[in-house]
Amino acid sequence: MRSVGAMSDSIRAMTAQLVSDPASMIFLPLGEALRQRGQLDAAEKVALAGLGRYSESADAHDLYARILGDRGQLELAFDEWDIALRLEPDHVGAHKGIGFLYFVAGELDRALAHLETAARKLPDDDGAQTALARVKEALARRAAAGNGAGRETETAVLTEEQAVVPGADPSRLFLGLEGAEDGLLLLDTRGLRLGGGLTSPEGDDVADAVSAHLAGVSQEASRTARLLGLGAWISLAAESPDGHLFVVAPTPETLLLLVREQSVPLGRLAVVADHAAGVARAWLEGLQ
Amino acid sequence: MRAVEPWVEGPLAAFLDESAARLTLLMTSAGQVLAQHGFTRAFDVMSAAALGAGIMASTDELARLMDAPPFRALAHQGVQHGLFLSGFDTPQGRWIGLVVFGPESSLGLVQLFFQRLVADLAKQAPTEAPSNRVLASDFEDELNASLRTLFGQ
Amino acid sequence: MPEFATALDLITRVHGVRGAMLVSVSDGLVVAESSMDGVDGAPVAALTASLAGRLRRTTEAAGRRLPTFIHLRAATGTVLAVPSNDDLLVVTIGAPDINVGLARLEMLHVAERGI
Repeated sequence: MRSVGAMSDSIRAMTAQLVSDPASMIFLPLGEALRQRGQLDAAEKVALAGLGRYSESADAHDLYARILGDRGQLELAFDEWDIALRLEPDHVGAHKGIGFLYFVAGELDRALAHLETAARKLPDDDGAQTALARVKEALARRAAAGNGAGRETETAVLTEEQAVVPGADPSRLFLGLEGAEDGLLLLDTRGLRLGGGLTSPEGDDVADAVSAHLAGVSQEASRTARLLGLGAWISLAAESPDGHLFVVAPTPETLLLLVREQSVPLGRLAVVADHAAGVARAWLEGLQ
Repeated sequence: MRAVEPWVEGPLAAFLDESAARLTLLMTSAGQVLAQHGFTRAFDVMSAAALGAGIMASTDELARLMDAPPFRALAHQGVQHGLFLSGFDTPQGRWIGLVVFGPESSLGLVQLFFQRLVADLAKQAPTEAPSNRVLASDFEDELNASLRTLFGQ
Repeated sequence: MPEFATALDLITRVHGVRGAMLVSVSDGLVVAESSMDGVDGAPVAALTASLAGRLRRTTEAAGRRLPTFIHLRAATGTVLAVPSNDDLLVVTIGAPDINVGLARLEMLHVAERGI
């Protein structure tokens, strides 16, 4: 793994090259380096500038899609990878990316098709091979359970995408709280799960798929409140015949989802969510 | 996203970010392209601009026949995509916006943020008129220069 | 649609309600509105429809049926939404101290009538 200093030097050198030659394709590795450092605003500027010049470059669309994915804008990421595949049907990065999105959405068959293509093109890529193996395992379990119509999912296969927090045990995050193992979910604003769990009424693990969607929901809630002149959003609640959902933001970088059966009133959910948010904040502070 | 005039970029980028539009074209009422997003071929840009300007001219004529003021905007909704076309005045003259959006957006969102785009463009536009008016004989050169800028060629 | 105007008026009589409207979800456009006191209906319609659409996809991902009531609480106001039929949404915008329970009941009455 490269040292931080070496990566900074490399980014500086690539930036200098791009400034001296704006038409250079160096924007691709530069954008990726910035993305890996978490500098998503800068990465996005570089990617969009490159796309402006090379709108028919599948690699450029792939880079932008990865940045959108990191931002939790999964639908837009899907669109970009879709464009990449239309430009270059065998584009490995796009197959991996779309495969991941289908997996998160529980569409295992479609995930398999894309990840098989990626793994075939890159036999030495551990990420693609591992992802493919996990999807095949999930499909085999579904077939063994005889649940052909089920949408069985499990934790996301592409572990390099997980926000794994060193030194913390995410499974103990809500220990002791009502619904600690199912119905309490902590995620970051990019849509990546930090802790907790959620299953569907049929018992399928839907935590990662829901986390991915919630990032977009919170952005939409924030935008709605802001543009309607209502200030910052505080909470978002939804009643459904199968249960109630309640979303709050324990910190500016995280979201908490609480799901309870319909018999629990929304007012009570607000109190429980407030308490769980406090637990989440304490856990996050313990990681600092 | 590419724009012939740099001052268009900021407002257009904000519009694209909020509206999630898939394709966007800004052009003069004569069909001269000023900015685009999402198109992958110059030919498509030219065709869309010509068709969009033609549609607006037709609806303006319809309004004239009805003895009504020009229609501000029109919208079409397809199975997967929607199309929004709107004319608006800028300090640089009358422009047309053509926006294509998918299910991740909506006509309401596009209209909402298009209004903001128009207001932002009015704020950002230079107050002085363009120094050279495009003559018919220069139009093709101007178009080609615009397309080169828009596609970075 | 006078009957909707009357029904929306009942919602606006609830304490804390600034305005009520019917919104087309797919278009994000206002279908009918009542007493939008200093509130521009177009952005309310577009943004609430978009939020409802995203929440719908989230509840589907969670394996739950579609939301029947949505409550967005913000620092200086509230947005409530109740789906009517497949493509309509009853939307209420209100003050922070809005009587949510009563507004919800009135909105459910409007939603049940459908178009």
